[in-house]
Amino acid sequence: MNQKIKKFWDLSFYLAKSGFKLRNEGSYLGIVWYLLNPILFFCLLFIVFSQSLGSEIENYAIYLFIGIIMFNYFQSITIESTELIKNNRGLFKSINFSKSAFILGNTLKFLFSHLLEFLVLILFASIIKENISNVLTYPLILIFFTLFTLGISLLLSSICIFFVDTKNIWIFISKLIWFGTPIFYRIKEGTLIYKVNLLNPLYYFIEITREIIIYNRLPNLQIISIGILFSISTLILGLIIFEKLKYKIMERI
Amino acid sequence: MERMIIKNISKEFKKEKYSKPILKTILNLNLLKFKKESTKVLRDISFKINSNEIVGLIGKNGSGKSTLLRIISGIYKQDKGKIKINGKIISMINLYTGLQDMLTMKENIYLLGILFGLSKKEIKNRIKEIIKFSELEEYVNTKLYKFSNGMLQRIAFSTAIYCNPKILLLDEVFEIGDEKFRKKSIRKMKQLVKEGISIILVSHDLEMIEKYCNKVIWIEDGVIKEEGNPKDTIKKYLTVHGE
Repeated sequence: MNQKIKKFWDLSFYLAKSGFKLRNEGSYLGIVWYLLNPILFFCLLFIVFSQSLGSEIENYAIYLFIGIIMFNYFQSITIESTELIKNNRGLFKSINFSKSAFILGNTLKFLFSHLLEFLVLILFASIIKENISNVLTYPLILIFFTLFTLGISLLLSSICIFFVDTKNIWIFISKLIWFGTPIFYRIKEGTLIYKVNLLNPLYYFIEITREIIIYNRLPNLQIISIGILFSISTLILGLIIFEKLKYKIMERI
Repeated sequence: MERMIIKNISKEFKKEKYSKPILKTILNLNLLKFKKESTKVLRDISFKINSNEIVGLIGKNGSGKSTLLRIISGIYKQDKGKIKINGKIISMINLYTGLQDMLTMKENIYLLGILFGLSKKEIKNRIKEIIKFSELEEYVNTKLYKFSNGMLQRIAFSTAIYCNPKILLLDEVFEIGDEKFRKKSIRKMKQLVKEGISIILVSHDLEMIEKYCNKVIWIEDGVIKEEGNPKDTIKKYLTVHGE
């Protein structure tokens, strides 16, 4: 059993490593893009919103940056997962290996670049805040956030084999999530958008991170429990559906 | 020693093989229609393979050979029947198409080795032998998009044989590449068989099948039409499909 888990992990990790290398192939700036992209996007939004939507938000710079990097992480993984199996059909139809390790490999690939964004977050916090020890709790939140994202990835990578326009629909849904989640603005309790966000898993993960990192306080237990529940239940659902459909997926590609 | 027992394997594919627009599906309420036309790809396939045996699988294109190999290797699941396998399977079904163009030869060997179930340490211990067997030493750090199909096949085959298989499934592996490497691969294959592994070899090269296989199975439209010694089975096959 232990050896099986080790081989599963080895496979996922190697796929992630080679995938990460492939992403930077041919790029002059290489991994610098992982830092430049969120920073440039952050600067743009900060210039646009800091005097309006963000004017009443304490530490708006970190508030905004946390929202951007967490959303980007989620979006990059899930959009790529809609084409993951199709793009590797030659491999899938040649060798019998763990397909879920392949999906995990894709998630880990983006986790590597997200860790670079995390370093920028530490840098940001060290400039703005006196005490940055809270920032170091982010990896713990990231574990649950990654499990949730992996669950969505498993679901999307299976569904897209059966419905060709899953990717387009998901890109549209991602845009809705981008505008609907309080990434560059704050929502007030009792409003319609607040009620909608109670059903939005991303809201919980971003909110927990902000509460701990920016405001130095532990979010209430209900928010933490819902975040954990979302991550575990989505992962289990993703795994069940992916495992159930894996042979059908192979026949369809 | 029995390496593999295949008993009454059947498989059918739904005719609607490709994915369709989700909106069309919803609008047509096709989600509620589960019954679709299907094609029987394999019907009641049964045979046994012992260790130290090379079994040839022949049949025209679309007869179900690759589907059978995919079921044996666990990529597809059979609808009916049982498979009993004794030992590690390594399948090479158009494998070179699955290699990563933008990675180097060395990185691809690691990738394939891990996909074949080896640990990084095990690959590290064998990589010299793999590269030596492939005779592509000078391209170790070259990216694969510069390789010909024959070279890709060399990498895939060389890696596969050094990954401790007990059963090798080779689908038209020797159809690509030069004669010298083909002969060398066949010699290696015979050596591995002597050491106890079993091979299922799919090929349209009937001369090779006749020369190296202990037994031949002829599949026609998803059923075993003939099974027996290579000479007689190929002779019967040729009477139907001509020279």
